[in-house]
Amino acid sequence: MIFNLRNSIILFSLMTIILMGSLTIYSVTSIDINYFLRFLLINIFVILLVVLLFNQINLNRIFSFGWLLFLFNILLVLSVEVFGKEINGSKRWLDFGFLSLQPSEFMKITFALFAIQYLRFYSFKFSKFRTIFLLLVLFLSAIPIIAQPDLGTGLVYIFLGLMFLFICGMHRVYFTAIGIFGALLSPLIYSFGLTSYQKGRIISWFSSDQTLSEKWNILQSEISIGSGGFSGEGFLNSKQNEFNFLPEADTDFIFSIYAEQFGFIGVFLILIMLGCFIVMTTLLTMTEKRLTSDLSPYYIGTYCTLVIGFSFLLNILMVSGMIPVVGLPLPFFTKGGSSLLCFSIMLGLIFTSRGFLK
Amino acid sequence: MKDNKIHIYRTRTKILLSFFVCILTLVIVRFFYLQIIQGNELRELREQNINAFEYIYPKRGRIISRDGTVLAEDRKVFSLAIDIEQKPSEQSINKLADLFSEKIIVEDLRLKVGNSIRFRRTEIVINKLTQEDLAKYLVSGADITGFSVIEGYERQYNSHPSIFHVLGHMGYINNSDVKYFSPRISEYNSKLWSKVGKSGLERVYEQKLQGEHGKRFFQRNARGDRRVVTDISPFREGEDLSISIDFEAQKLAYELMDERKGSVVVIDLQDFSIPVAISTPSISANDLRDISSSQYQDLLNDPARPLFNRAFMGLYPPASTIKPLLTIFALNNGYTNWDETIFDDGFFRFEEEERIFNAWREGGHGLTDLEKALVESSNPFFMNLSIRYEKNLFVEFLKSSSFGSKLCEDCYPHQFSPLIDDNWKYKNFGKELYKGDFINLGVGQGYMLTTPLHLSLISGILAKKGKYELPYLVAKKQNKLSVIEDITDEDWNKLQSSLIDVIYSPNGTGYRINAGELKLAGKSGTAQVVDINSREEYDEVRVNPLLRDHAIFIGYAPYDDPRYSIAVIVENGESGGRVAGPIAKKVLEELLNDF
Repeated sequence: MIFNLRNSIILFSLMTIILMGSLTIYSVTSIDINYFLRFLLINIFVILLVVLLFNQINLNRIFSFGWLLFLFNILLVLSVEVFGKEINGSKRWLDFGFLSLQPSEFMKITFALFAIQYLRFYSFKFSKFRTIFLLLVLFLSAIPIIAQPDLGTGLVYIFLGLMFLFICGMHRVYFTAIGIFGALLSPLIYSFGLTSYQKGRIISWFSSDQTLSEKWNILQSEISIGSGGFSGEGFLNSKQNEFNFLPEADTDFIFSIYAEQFGFIGVFLILIMLGCFIVMTTLLTMTEKRLTSDLSPYYIGTYCTLVIGFSFLLNILMVSGMIPVVGLPLPFFTKGGSSLLCFSIMLGLIFTSRGFLK
Repeated sequence: MKDNKIHIYRTRTKILLSFFVCILTLVIVRFFYLQIIQGNELRELREQNINAFEYIYPKRGRIISRDGTVLAEDRKVFSLAIDIEQKPSEQSINKLADLFSEKIIVEDLRLKVGNSIRFRRTEIVINKLTQEDLAKYLVSGADITGFSVIEGYERQYNSHPSIFHVLGHMGYINNSDVKYFSPRISEYNSKLWSKVGKSGLERVYEQKLQGEHGKRFFQRNARGDRRVVTDISPFREGEDLSISIDFEAQKLAYELMDERKGSVVVIDLQDFSIPVAISTPSISANDLRDISSSQYQDLLNDPARPLFNRAFMGLYPPASTIKPLLTIFALNNGYTNWDETIFDDGFFRFEEEERIFNAWREGGHGLTDLEKALVESSNPFFMNLSIRYEKNLFVEFLKSSSFGSKLCEDCYPHQFSPLIDDNWKYKNFGKELYKGDFINLGVGQGYMLTTPLHLSLISGILAKKGKYELPYLVAKKQNKLSVIEDITDEDWNKLQSSLIDVIYSPNGTGYRINAGELKLAGKSGTAQVVDINSREEYDEVRVNPLLRDHAIFIGYAPYDDPRYSIAVIVENGESGGRVAGPIAKKVLEELLNDF
C-alpha cells in the first residue's frame, strides 16, 4: 500500500472512528483510564494482526478454503444451540472463557468467501441453476440464525448476502422476484414464524404505547441523543449513562452515549469520517486501473467496505428510532469480541484485496 | 465479456454507494432533528428521568388550652419498613419474624417483601414501634439486612373524653374533604395530605395547623435508587393553636355529667370566648384514631350517640329558660309590665280552640305577676302573654337573638337554632303559624329549639343587658357587638333581680342549688320530651327513662359583675333546678376560683 493523500485520508478517517469508538466504550464502561488504553490497544492490535496476517496470505488461498470456512461457520452456529449461553431468551454466544463469540456474526464473511469460490470456478457466469443454488444456500443458512432466535442478524445476513450477489452481477430479475415474494410472504412469516419476543420488538416500533420496554429503550436512546444538543455534554458527561437510563449502553446503544457526549458536531464528524472511508475506499477499488480478468478481489473488497458502512448506518438508524431494534453491533464501537474480530477481518480483506492488486 | 462484467460491477457499486450516501444524509438529517430541533425537549425529559423529589412532611401544630395544657400534638413514631434499596435476605426475614414472633407472620412478611420489590414501594412491617421493640430491633438488627426504621408523625391527643368534640379528629382524606377545603384554603393541593381534620378545630383550622410541605430533591437512576440529595426546599411546621377552652373546668364539667347524656357550654363574657363546651357521652380522641371500621360503625350506631356533638349540634326545647328572653320582648312591645297580675290555677285555657294547657305545678301559683312568674316559673302567665304576640315582631325579635343564624365561626360541625316563622312552619308542616302555636312557643316548647351554645349565649345576653358578641373558640374575627331590642335600665334591673331570686328566694326554682357565695343568677327549665295531656300519662312516662323530661339550666355569675354565662342540659334529667343547676354551680365555681 502506498501512502499517498487518498490512502492517508482513508487511514486517518478509519483511525478516528476506532479512536472515538474506544473512547466511547471507555466512557460507558469504566472510569479507569487504563481500561481505555487497554481497549484501544486491543482494538488496534487485533486489527493490525488480522490485516498483517491477511497481507501475508495469498487471497486466492483464502478463497480456495471458502466452502470449508462456510461449512465450519454453519456448524458453529448450530453448536450454539447445544453449548451456547442464553441471553434475553435467545442463544447466540459461544463462551470460550476469555472471549465469547457470536458465530452468526461471521456468516456474512464466510458466505461471501464461499460464493466467491463457487462463482470463480464458473468465471462468474450466473446460470439459472447456479443462481438458484446460491440463493437457496443463502436462505437455508439463514434459518439456524433466525432460529436462535435472532431475526435481526438473520435478516441482515440475507440482505448483505444479496448485496454481495448484486455486486457479483446476479441478474436483476431475481432481485425483483425476491422482493415481490418477500413482500407477499412477510405477513405469513409474522403470524407463524416469529416468537413473541420478536413480535414484541416489531410491535413496539409501530405502536405508540410507551410502556412497552422496547419503546422505552428507543425513547431513552432518543433522549440521550437529543440531550447532546449541538456541541454535546462533554466527554464522560453522559448523564443517561451515569444514571443507567440507557439499557445496553455498551453494545447496541453505544452511539446514543456518543451522541450525548459529543453532540451534533461529534455525530456529524464521525459520519463524515465514515463517509470518507467508505466512499474513498470503494471508489479507489472500483476505479483501479489494472483490472484483471479475475474480479473476485474487487468484489470481496467492495463488499466488505459496504458491509462496514451499512452496518454502521443500520445501527445508527436503529438507535435514532428509524428502524426497529434489531440488535446490530456498531463497527469499532460496540464492546464485544465477535464484532471486533469480524470487522477486523473485513478490514484485512479490504486492505489485502487492494494490496493484491498492486 | 470482461468489459461487460466490469461495467456491471462498477454500475452496481455506484448504485450501492449512492444508496449509502442517501442513507448517510438521512441519518445526518435525523440527528439534526433530534439534537438541534428537539434537543431542548429531550434534554428536559432527561432531567425528568434523573431528578426527582419527595415531600418532607411538616409537623402539625399543637392545640393548647387556655390554661396551658397541650391537648393535641404530633408525636414522632417509628415504624419498621422494608428497605427499597436492598433486598432482605431469606435469613433476615426469618430472623425478624423470630424476633417479633407475636407481631409478624412469616408468610405475610414474605408477601410484603415481594410487593416491595415488585412495586418498588416502602412496605410497613410493624407500624408504631414501641420503645421496647425499637430497642430490641436495634440491638439484634445488625445482622438483619433489608429493613429500616422510618420516622413519621402521629397525632396524639389528651385522652380525656371531654375534649374530643371540641378538638375533632383526623382521618384519611376523601372527596368530601377535598370539596370542603378547596374553597377555604387557597391553592389547596389535596394530594399532599393523606390525613386531614374531619371535625372540630382540626377541621376548621386545618390550614393553620397543617403547615407547608418541603421538598427534598434528589437524583436517581433508572431503577430508582442511588439517591444523591441535591437540594432541600424550606418547609414550615404547622402553627400552634391556642384555644379558649379551660381544660380543668372542661374536665370537671364532663365528670359532673356522670355519664348522663347532655351538654355544658360556658361563655366568657369578657370576650365571648368559650371556656367550656362538653357533650356527653364522649370518647377519647385517640380511640377514634386507631379504631377499626366495625368498631366505628358500632360507635355510629350507639343510641347514646357519643360522636354527636350536643354542645353545637343538639337541638332542645329551651322550655322555661326562654322566659327571661321573651320577657324583654314583652316589655319592649308593651304586652305586659311589672304590675300586671293574673290568677294561675295550674293550667291555661285557650278559649279560641277550647284547649287546655297544663302547667308543671298542680294547683298553680295563685295570684302571679311578672316577677313571680319568672321566679316560680309560671307557665299560664307566659301563655297568657304569648297569645298577644304579633307574629312579625316576634320573628324579628327571635332573629335579633340569633335564631336562624350561625352563632360561632369556628365551631364545627355547627347547627343553628331554627328561626320559627311562617316559612319554617310551611316547610315543615305545610301551614302558617297560627295563634295556638305561640302558646307553646311562649314557654319554650313546641317548635322552639335551641342548641346548648345558643342557650349559653342567651344567658350571656341577659347578663350583659342585651349587648352581646358571637362566641368563638380560637380566632376573634372582628366580632361585632349586637344589641337586641332595648328596654329601660330599670326593666333590666328588675329582670336580673328576678333571675337572682330564682336562685336565692326560697320560692325560686333554683333555690335547691344552694348557690351560696357564688352570686349566681339563672333560670331553670324542664323540657317535655313527649306531649302529655294528663297527670296520669305523666306518671307513666316517668317510668321510661328515655321519655323523662330534659333538665335545663341557664345562668351567669357573679351577678353584680357578670363574668361567665352557662347553659347545662341533662337529657332525661327531669328537673332543671335540682339536676342541671348544681352542675352549673360547680363549673362556675371552678372557673371563678382560677382568679
